[in-house]
This record gives sequence, C-alpha cells and structure tokens, in this order.
Amino acid sequence: MKDCVRYAPMLGAREGELTEEEQHALDLHLQGCAGCRATAAELAALDGLVGESLMARANARDFAPFVDEVMARVGAPGLAPARGRRGFLGWFRTHPRAALASLVPFVAAVALVVYVRLERGGESGPMASLEIATEGEVTMVLQTSDGPVVLLDDGEHS
Amino acid sequence: MEADDLALVTKAQAGDPAAFRALVVRYQRKVYAVALGIVKDSDLAWDVAQEAFVRVHGHLGAFEGKSSFSTWLFRIATHLSIDAVRRERVSQKEDVDEVRESDLTGGGEGILATTLGDDPAENLLRREMAEKIQDALQTLPEKHRTILVLREVEGLSYEELAERLGIHKGTVMSRLFHARKKMQAALRGYAERSARDDEESAP
Repeated sequence: MKDCVRYAPMLGAREGELTEEEQHALDLHLQGCAGCRATAAELAALDGLVGESLMARANARDFAPFVDEVMARVGAPGLAPARGRRGFLGWFRTHPRAALASLVPFVAAVALVVYVRLERGGESGPMASLEIATEGEVTMVLQTSDGPVVLLDDGEHS
Repeated sequence: MEADDLALVTKAQAGDPAAFRALVVRYQRKVYAVALGIVKDSDLAWDVAQEAFVRVHGHLGAFEGKSSFSTWLFRIATHLSIDAVRRERVSQKEDVDEVRESDLTGGGEGILATTLGDDPAENLLRREMAEKIQDALQTLPEKHRTILVLREVEGLSYEELAERLGIHKGTVMSRLFHARKKMQAALRGYAERSARDDEESAP
C-alpha cells in the first residue's frame, strides 16, 4: 500500500509524460498490484468523459450572437455598433450626407420663426390670421398687426 | 491549424476585423466549454468566454507569437474563469494535494470500468452519462474542476498544466488523481444503479 501511494498519481499519465525511470517503476508495480490495476481501469474508464460532456453542452448552445457581441464590445468597424456609437450621432458618422439632408426642413423652419419674430419687433398676440367672408362674393381679409387688409378677388379689379 | 491561426492573428493585428472574427468563431465553443467546466454557471461562462476574447483583442498588439495563439487565449480564459469562481466563492475549505492511503480505498471495485467499458466510440452509455458527468463535475472543488477541464478539454500535458497553474509537476499528478477519484465517487452511484438495472433485465 505504501508503494501504491507513490504510484497512484502516475496512473493517468499519457505516453511520454513520465520519465523512463518512472514508467519502468510503474509498470513493475502494476504487474504485482491488482489494486492499482483496478484503479487504473477505473480512471481509464473516466478518461475523456469530462471533455466530451462539456463540448456536447457547448455544441448544443446557440452561438449565433456570441461573435457579434464580442465584435461590438471591441468596437470593430463595420460590425454591430458599440453602445457609444448608437443613435443619431452614430448614424451621422456613417451617413453624413443623408443626415445633412434630413436637417434641411428643420433648419428652414427655425429660420422662418426667427425671421417672423424679427419682423414682429417683440409685439405679443397673433401677428396674422386669415379670414374668409362670403357676402355675395368671396372676400379674403388678412388680419395683421397693422390692421385688417382686404384682399380683393380678380372680379373686383375688372 | 496553427499556421492559419498566426496568419489570422497577423491580419487582426493590422486592424482586419474579419480576421479577428474568424478567430472568435474558431475558438468560441471550446473557450466556452473550458469556462463552463470551471465556473459551472452557463451564463457566467458565456460572459467569461466573451471577456477572454475582448482581453485578447485588447492585447493583440503585444502578442509576439512566442506561444501559440490558442495557448494564449486559453490561458486568459482559464485565469478569468478561476477569478470568477473565486469572486463568487464565500469560503471553501481547500483540499490537500498529496495522496494518502485512504484515497486508494473505496474505489468501487471496478464497477465504473465494468459499466462504462473502454471503447469511447461505441459505448452508448458514455453519451447517456454526459449530463451525469456535468452534475458530478459541479460537485468538485474549483481546483479539481479546473485541472480536469484543462486536461480534458484543452488536452494539456503535465508540464503545460504545471506552467498554466503555477504548480509543480508532482502536484499536477496528485491533483489530477484526486480530481478523478472524486469524479469516480460522484458517478459511482449512477454506475451501480445502471449495473443493477442490467442484471435485473438480464434473462
């Protein structure tokens, strides 16, 4: 049994992992020790099972998102966007012309508001409104800050 | 395979994302399997495996090819897995590595070898036991799980295990022996039940 304690750890060795002296001594011991031969058989029966089992689990899992998630985390260009590059700013970086084009209506609206405010000179209340009166003929009256302006149709000019 | 790895690494170092992507795809399942064997939890293993690739990417410029890419990758994955386990572990009594006489008794008198057989290609029982093995592995202490996983999934030699884990070759041998004996003990109940079922069903 004392020798068994010494040789038991060598039982799972692969070819070439033990020195020549170790291998020779182990072989001699196994020839005379039924207990260690049985232990060796037990351990050999388990050999490979753990790796087989773990790889089976890995192969059963859907790995489709794995690589995209890794690439997103490392910020590789042209791949899934990283968190910091999402949203309009991220899109702006990749599509600058389209982003500028999308801004045109917004800029135009802002410019109009600024222009109208400058024209108003700071007065409050509605600056202009449109009224349509129907007194035999269609008449349009434009309410402005300077008072109502009647817009005559073409018939009255003729 | 290794030459191909180096070619991909060189391209990835030059900033080719497709090359790095190919390396991830090549090793993702095996890195996950190593992490799963050590950390036990599948979601944590997924995170650890991803973190390993992120770390590798971050240090790609410093990789000089002195060891193989896969060795480097798995070393990082192993350390991240062990760190993850240690962070989660509140306290666990460390097992000794030396082999005692008591460790050599109670092996089951050949029941595992008889039940499992010795032909991995044709033994259906081995496949049926995959889940039991996973359960049994989870009962082992972290250091025994780790060495067994590195030995079996990565196929590391005694010398490589000693280098990876920072222990002597003699400690590798005894720790592996303990790990296997504990696996054997955990699986013994299943194997005995299986053998008993076979006897009962025999004419």
